[in-house]
Amino acid sequence: MGDSTGEPGSSMHGVTGREQTFAFSVASPIVPTDKTAKFDLPVDSEHKATVFKLFSFAKPHMRTFHLSWISFSTCFVSTFAAAPLVPIIRENLNLTKQDIGNAGVASVSGSIFSRLVMGAVCDLLGPRYGCAFLVMLSAPTGFSMSFVHDAGGFITVRFMIGFCLATFVSCQCWMSTMFNSQIMGLVNGTAAGWGNMGGGITQLLMPIVYEIIRRCGQDLPDGNRSALEKKGEVAKDKFGKIMWYAVTNYRTWIFVLLYGYSMGVELSTDNVIAEYFFDRFHLKLHTAGIIAACFGMANFFARPAGGYASDLAARYFGMRGRLWALWIIQTLGGLFCVWLGRANTLVTAVVAMILFSLGAQAACGATFAIVPFVSRRALGIISGLTGAGGNFGSGLTQLIFFSTSRFTTEQGITWMGVMIVACTLPVTLIHFPQWGSMFLPPSKDPVKGTEEHYYASEWNEQEKEKNMHQGSLRFAENAKSEGGRRVRSGATPPGNTPNNV
Amino acid sequence: MAIHKIILASFIVYLMIQFSHGATKERLFSDLEKDALDVTAKPSRQGVLDAGIDKLSITWKLRSTAKKQANFTTIKVKLCYAPVSQVDRPWRKTENELFKDKTCPHKIITRAYNKSSQSFKYTLDRDIPTGTYFVRTYAVDAKDHEVAFGQSTSEAKPTKLFSVQAISGRHKSLDIASVCFSVFSVLALLVFFVNEKRKAKLEQSK
Repeated sequence: MGDSTGEPGSSMHGVTGREQTFAFSVASPIVPTDKTAKFDLPVDSEHKATVFKLFSFAKPHMRTFHLSWISFSTCFVSTFAAAPLVPIIRENLNLTKQDIGNAGVASVSGSIFSRLVMGAVCDLLGPRYGCAFLVMLSAPTGFSMSFVHDAGGFITVRFMIGFCLATFVSCQCWMSTMFNSQIMGLVNGTAAGWGNMGGGITQLLMPIVYEIIRRCGQDLPDGNRSALEKKGEVAKDKFGKIMWYAVTNYRTWIFVLLYGYSMGVELSTDNVIAEYFFDRFHLKLHTAGIIAACFGMANFFARPAGGYASDLAARYFGMRGRLWALWIIQTLGGLFCVWLGRANTLVTAVVAMILFSLGAQAACGATFAIVPFVSRRALGIISGLTGAGGNFGSGLTQLIFFSTSRFTTEQGITWMGVMIVACTLPVTLIHFPQWGSMFLPPSKDPVKGTEEHYYASEWNEQEKEKNMHQGSLRFAENAKSEGGRRVRSGATPPGNTPNNV
Repeated sequence: MAIHKIILASFIVYLMIQFSHGATKERLFSDLEKDALDVTAKPSRQGVLDAGIDKLSITWKLRSTAKKQANFTTIKVKLCYAPVSQVDRPWRKTENELFKDKTCPHKIITRAYNKSSQSFKYTLDRDIPTGTYFVRTYAVDAKDHEVAFGQSTSEAKPTKLFSVQAISGRHKSLDIASVCFSVFSVLALLVFFVNEKRKAKLEQSK
């Protein structure tokens, strides 16, 4: 890759005095800028952007960002388009509380399966194809809502529309291929947050959005995947292998549970909150809709803020900071949820709801600030599993608390808050040997305690001989900043592989 | 961030205004005089009625046993859900507090109070949902507070109820548009796929 990087004193960052220094950029000299690459934004050795320029449409990084969040946003709009209209739909279709609850469960269950599939597709075919296929094949499901005339039809169509929420996985994977991991929290958080925001766009616009994606999108910074595979620059991986590495990593499953109680509760609340305010506080439909919209719209800044908080914590405390940030934010979200369930007046309910939305959505952002580090090889499937976990948690929560007459909606919300706090505790168990965990420091073993060892361990000897693990090694190099301040300011850490591997 | 604070503050103020309208209205249904009016509601035909098409002949008359008729200024006639249509539907729940009560959401007619027998031929509104109904008339005083009521069914064992079937809401034009857009969507995907294959072949042959 050209110049000698990684040696102390070799970084050229800051030498000319004209380098970008805004907060949304990678500050550490450990991440070397690749000067041989010709992109509009500064990039690292994997050609991932190290800077996040929000109002740019530069090809390919920022353009990818905008296409991603827009396609994800449209899918969110269609999946939850029915929810604020439930007070009308329940009369049109003569629905019972169980029917409404089941439709809500169905709307998030469809994507449990589709997110898993999308994860595999992203790893094998690339997020661009996955996103395009999913968006265009989900459009007819939205149109078929016009044929519904009873509860069964309503539940079925909401189930099918829900499949398109898998664009979340393609969105996050695409971001992870285009942006450096140090700003991953902010980038992933903003893309997913604006996606979650949704609003105003009807399902008729989906084909138009696709046209934009087709003409402008690109899989990876250096070009489209199939072309790169043919040139031999991107290794063609096997599904069985990536599935194995995803499933046997215990951290995957902890994130699946955790995301079920940050994203999952957000989806559940999206489904029940408008009807809750309409019925409990005797509001007009459009007033209830406005309040419910505040919940979803908070995603605009809440989720990026969560990602940014994670990046900020990482700058001082490394990965341990990210884990603590996630636990604190998600637990606070749970406590505010309990408060929402117990609020008896409209004003306290709205305040509690807004604080709850900030907590839950920032927790989502903080989660996907960590997920890209769990695995490099199986990133797609792990993102898919985590995303599916979100939906599974949502379906389960709606089934237990909001589909039966056993709990009133306010009791359901209170218990949901308690479950959030309980299900966030497992984050204390996540341990990276090279970076530590919430309560334990990193391993001092000179071999096992390195980033290279962690990411290279996903490849066996035969694959290493074929140099299939080069991408992982480059990622490991760029991920060293997760060691925190002491790594950044100190000498080059021991066990650093020389670059002429 | 300042604009967010302003929006939030004004929103909270707006909500407080809305909220204050619903405060301290604790007039109860159980305080109203029961069976002050004789009410009958006769459907125009047998079987399940169609919303927007079929009619009800409604008559109401002051009963001799009524006590509070001096206060009656207006009569409000409403369409109410029978208990069978309230099962598993908490948004139609009967509550004792009048402002919370959701039993009778559909207004039929409001008329000034008249001692003699009154009647009205009501065509079921198009937005009446599917369900089982009866008719209730509220006698309202000059302060717009309910004072008494009468209904077309008996309280203990609901009789003389009628069923309504709502409109389907489907239009042929909507159906055709849905199919067309869906087909377009799938075709566009095929075109994309074909183009991608072609581009990949070109790259390879280079």
